[in-house]
Amino acid sequence: MIPAWHYDGQTATRYEVYVVAQDDGLRLDLGEGRSDVAPWGDLFWIDKRDGASVFGRKGIDGWRVGIPLPMTDLLARRLPPQSRYGGLVDKFGIWPAVAGFTALSAAVVLVLWKAPDVVAPLVPMSWEQKMGDAMVGDLGGRICDGAEGQKALDALVRRIDPDAANLRVRIVNVDMVNAAALPGGQILIFRGLLQEAKNPDELAGVLGHEVGHVRNRDVMQALLRQMGLSLLLGGVGGDVGGALNSAMSASYSRAAESRADDYAINLMRTANVSPLPTAGFFDRLAEGERKLGKGAVAMSYMSSHPLSDERRKVFLASARKGAAYAPAVTPQQWRAIVDACANDPDVKEGDLF
Amino acid sequence: MGIGNQDQTAFEFRGDWKEFFPIAASNLLLTLVTLGVYRFWATTRERRYFWSQTRFIDDTLEWTGTGKELFLGFLMAIVALILPVIGLQFLIQALILQGQTVLAGALGLGFYVVILFLVGFATFRALRYRLSRTHWHGIRGGSEDPGFRYGLSYIWKTLVGGLALGLLIPWSMTSLWSDRWNQMSFGPHRFESAPEWGGLMKRFLLLYLTPIAAILLLIIAAIAGAISGSSDADIGIAGSVGAVVLAFYVVLPLLALGYYAAFFREVVDTLSLTTINFQFTARTKEWFLLFLGNAGLFILALIAALIPISALGLFSGFADLQPGQDPFAQNPGMVIGMVLALIIPMSLVGPFIRYRNWRFFIRNLEATGVIDLDLLTQSQTKVGSHGEGLFDALDMGAM
Repeated sequence: MIPAWHYDGQTATRYEVYVVAQDDGLRLDLGEGRSDVAPWGDLFWIDKRDGASVFGRKGIDGWRVGIPLPMTDLLARRLPPQSRYGGLVDKFGIWPAVAGFTALSAAVVLVLWKAPDVVAPLVPMSWEQKMGDAMVGDLGGRICDGAEGQKALDALVRRIDPDAANLRVRIVNVDMVNAAALPGGQILIFRGLLQEAKNPDELAGVLGHEVGHVRNRDVMQALLRQMGLSLLLGGVGGDVGGALNSAMSASYSRAAESRADDYAINLMRTANVSPLPTAGFFDRLAEGERKLGKGAVAMSYMSSHPLSDERRKVFLASARKGAAYAPAVTPQQWRAIVDACANDPDVKEGDLF
Repeated sequence: MGIGNQDQTAFEFRGDWKEFFPIAASNLLLTLVTLGVYRFWATTRERRYFWSQTRFIDDTLEWTGTGKELFLGFLMAIVALILPVIGLQFLIQALILQGQTVLAGALGLGFYVVILFLVGFATFRALRYRLSRTHWHGIRGGSEDPGFRYGLSYIWKTLVGGLALGLLIPWSMTSLWSDRWNQMSFGPHRFESAPEWGGLMKRFLLLYLTPIAAILLLIIAAIAGAISGSSDADIGIAGSVGAVVLAFYVVLPLLALGYYAAFFREVVDTLSLTTINFQFTARTKEWFLLFLGNAGLFILALIAALIPISALGLFSGFADLQPGQDPFAQNPGMVIGMVLALIIPMSLVGPFIRYRNWRFFIRNLEATGVIDLDLLTQSQTKVGSHGEGLFDALDMGAM
């Protein structure tokens, strides 16, 4: 007979009782000859309070018994143990649980990081196209889609990639020295890049690089990876602007960038377009990088790409000595491409984001 | 049982931060290694501690919520609420990018109304959840109301409060408070709330008119300066710019605190549960000290984070960024070290701010009146752990 306190869950009245360990459960002597037996399996540990261990009883809301500490061995053996961190952690102990969770988390991160490589090629191109359309649309009228410019650009695309049927290359009226591959074979060339490029072969090199990203399914991979990671970090972001932005600034792996460069070089070789102007373009960019210094670099084309100087060397090395290269497009076509935005009367101007 | 006599306050918090620290630290460790999943169990452990250290009259409170129900509630909230909301947001932005601004605008307005509803609904549910998981003497609270009606009144009262140039905000705040609390109960008794907003208007107008007055002052000073054209005027303008900055960063927050302190006293002082009346004693000064202390904790954590980072030169890989370099790929170990040095102290701020907030709330809460324990019978409100009741765990504060 051990003195204890008890709430029956019916009223707030506190009862002074005696508890006895029986085979079938904990017996509470409520006084005046009344008693109540709580089966051992129904009792659960709640708390330590004012020098007593408090237990609840499954199925009876608010039923409590507080047994003063220290408890007799008989009671301590039959009553449920103290719980601290939650069921699973208590079962294994905190350090084994920490080790187990760490391993599991590492595995999850690894899967999320690697899965896009496997999953991206399996996404049907038609889905990707729908996604790209939903994300881009007409970019709020900022596409320079005057007939002449677009026609000349299409000619350039066909010239370096005869298999260009599922590509959609367009010029955007935004002053950024950049080009981007988006889902669904969409490639955007920004006006700033056209102003920076000295001749069509330079543009052909950059375009070939973006075509490489499209063909290698890099875009989908980067997008899936981004989605997986943001899901993991709890920031389930759902705005298109953000998605578009991250797709554009998507940091493809260094390997993917090199593969895209190789792809561009191959395209140019097949099309008999000289890689030297592209090397020259990277040389100018590298010059700019040296001048720009640290802060401005992060804002520009180069930050998401390998070192321009390295790339210059790759393009330079791919040139064949004594080859008779032909220009990517005619001078008239090149003018039409460069002036595409100026000649499009209804294009809107402005920053994208 | 009579309460609230001179000798003893009805509510007392007797926690000890040294006792709380192991809870916060182990919570952080488990949350880190589970990529955040443990946070629901962490919240539960925190609350169990706060509640168990809170005495009301002769016994402590008891938190009976579980991590599992918070976790399931979170999953349900994601599927039923957050994913549709994100989908809608995605659609609206896609429409904007495609130039369909009218349709996007209409959808955006609808989106705003839906969000308002959800905020109201979630506030109601959080309160209902907390009361239904709070036991005292084996008795708990709850509500019969699922909270949909509250969500609707939250929409229109917020809109009306804001539309009248924001002048009716005290009305909407007090009115929504009583809409919420009048639906809550403890044991068999309903809470009764009847706050009045008229008395709050003086402090609210002070808060409301000060920035307007400051801007007017600035304009007058600028005009006066332009007319006289003297160098003294430049000093005058500099002085008034300084005054405006001071107003926005020091005076305005203080006035807001002053208003909120009055609001909170009003709504708690007019709250009762059958024969018990509640009071809240904190004045602006106490609220100010609470926020000052919380800000101090934050700064302390920042210093604690920056010392190891700068000592180990962890920034060195990042301070000298070169084009095309990817410091994250080059020193993964350093990145992890830096992130941990930042995350560990910064994540301990949250639990201790919650600790201080709870202590502040309990220390300033008072109750007077008489309780008949025999009449305080068990609550008959629903406390489902699955199905509809799971929505109870839509506890925004826990997420």
